[in-house]
Amino acid sequence: MTAQATPRKPAIPKQALAAKAFHWVNLVALFAMMGSGLQIYNANPVFGGRAGYHFPDFLLLGGWLAGGRHWHFFFMWVFGLNLLWYGLYVFFTRRWKNRYAGKNDLEALQKSTNPRRRNYAVHRLVYTAFIPVLLLALLTGLGMWKPVQFGWIVAMFGGWQALRTVHFLTIPTVLGLMAVHSLLALNVGQWKLVRSMFT
Amino acid sequence: MSDFLRIGRRKLVSLGGMSLLLAACGRGSVQTQIEQKLFELSDPLNRSFEQLLFSSQRLAPEFQRQEIEPEALLVNTAEDFPPQIDPGTYRLTVGGLVKKPVSLSLEEIRKLPYRSEIIRHVCVEGWAAIVQWGGLPLVELLKFVQPKPEARYVFFRSAEGFRNSQGELYGFYETWDLASCVHPQTVMAYEKNFKPLPASNGAPMRLASPIKLGYKQIKWVTEIMLLAALPEQLGYWVDFGYEWYGGI
Repeated sequence: MTAQATPRKPAIPKQALAAKAFHWVNLVALFAMMGSGLQIYNANPVFGGRAGYHFPDFLLLGGWLAGGRHWHFFFMWVFGLNLLWYGLYVFFTRRWKNRYAGKNDLEALQKSTNPRRRNYAVHRLVYTAFIPVLLLALLTGLGMWKPVQFGWIVAMFGGWQALRTVHFLTIPTVLGLMAVHSLLALNVGQWKLVRSMFT
Repeated sequence: MSDFLRIGRRKLVSLGGMSLLLAACGRGSVQTQIEQKLFELSDPLNRSFEQLLFSSQRLAPEFQRQEIEPEALLVNTAEDFPPQIDPGTYRLTVGGLVKKPVSLSLEEIRKLPYRSEIIRHVCVEGWAAIVQWGGLPLVELLKFVQPKPEARYVFFRSAEGFRNSQGELYGFYETWDLASCVHPQTVMAYEKNFKPLPASNGAPMRLASPIKLGYKQIKWVTEIMLLAALPEQLGYWVDFGYEWYGGI
């Protein structure tokens, strides 16, 4: 009887080691890709050519164009292979079956009056959206690196400038998704949930 | 809710800190060391991947005449002014590991096979331009001089130079792998957009190809040498730190 009277402490969230590793590598690789990508961008901005807006030094990685390329092509492998093994992990552990947003989440957003259920649905939509955006960044990047060998990628986006624009736009999209994803996680599980993903 | 906002800020600060840390790694002597390490680790992987994708026979996409972008092709020179070469006295020498070394005038080159192609020229800086190149396919020139079996690389020398603060002239040069040289769309171009090649784009003769980045396409070519191994100096921009293979 007395045991029931003591208030229960909220459980400390636990995450799979694979999920933590994926989060760490992804975060570091993405920031390295962004810093070195902006370095490359500055050589000839997508918007406005050589005279266009140049990003300030503190956002850049690599020192100069060739240095930025070296960082970018190194972390391209880190980022791409991290995404690949995450895909394999999700596939073989069968997490893909119920990990991502589905029809029920869309229905909950339209019909449910339960705020917690709605919040959960939004969160699932946000982190599901990461997957196509990250794959899009990889695909457009591959098209820019090898426009001859992967001419169909350039053709798919309608031309070189469109390809560069889409590749660039994946940065603000990923940053936006990251912000919403972090804020939603904080809202649901406070700091200890976010921390549990990294420690 | 206040708790939520406070932690939100802390999270943002830690993310900002991480990007600052990465940015700090990107400058100074630490930067040079890390960048060099990353390059040493990933360049062999990139080069193998690029060579795996490459085929000497697969053609790059070609475009229609009305798709040419005459304004998009920017001029890059190491010197402030392009070399002015008299086409009447110009000669292209081809030597090294060949059975039939030659020295050709422009007139003699024009009598050799000709190829016209409208391709996408991609610069390492990110811009690209659809341009027509016309000239002698490099593979035809190589057939003409008959490379020895041990030849594996091709060295190009340019009339362009680079002057240091004492005014001394340094050579501008480039090296290519043989497989890329025998690609049918690699040409020694003397024509741009159906007109004689202008001096600013490398007249009287430049290397042009859709399969390599722009900095590999050396202008004002005066000498070609076939080599068994890569020399210590790989190319003007490559020796500054750009990747040697530079395939696209």
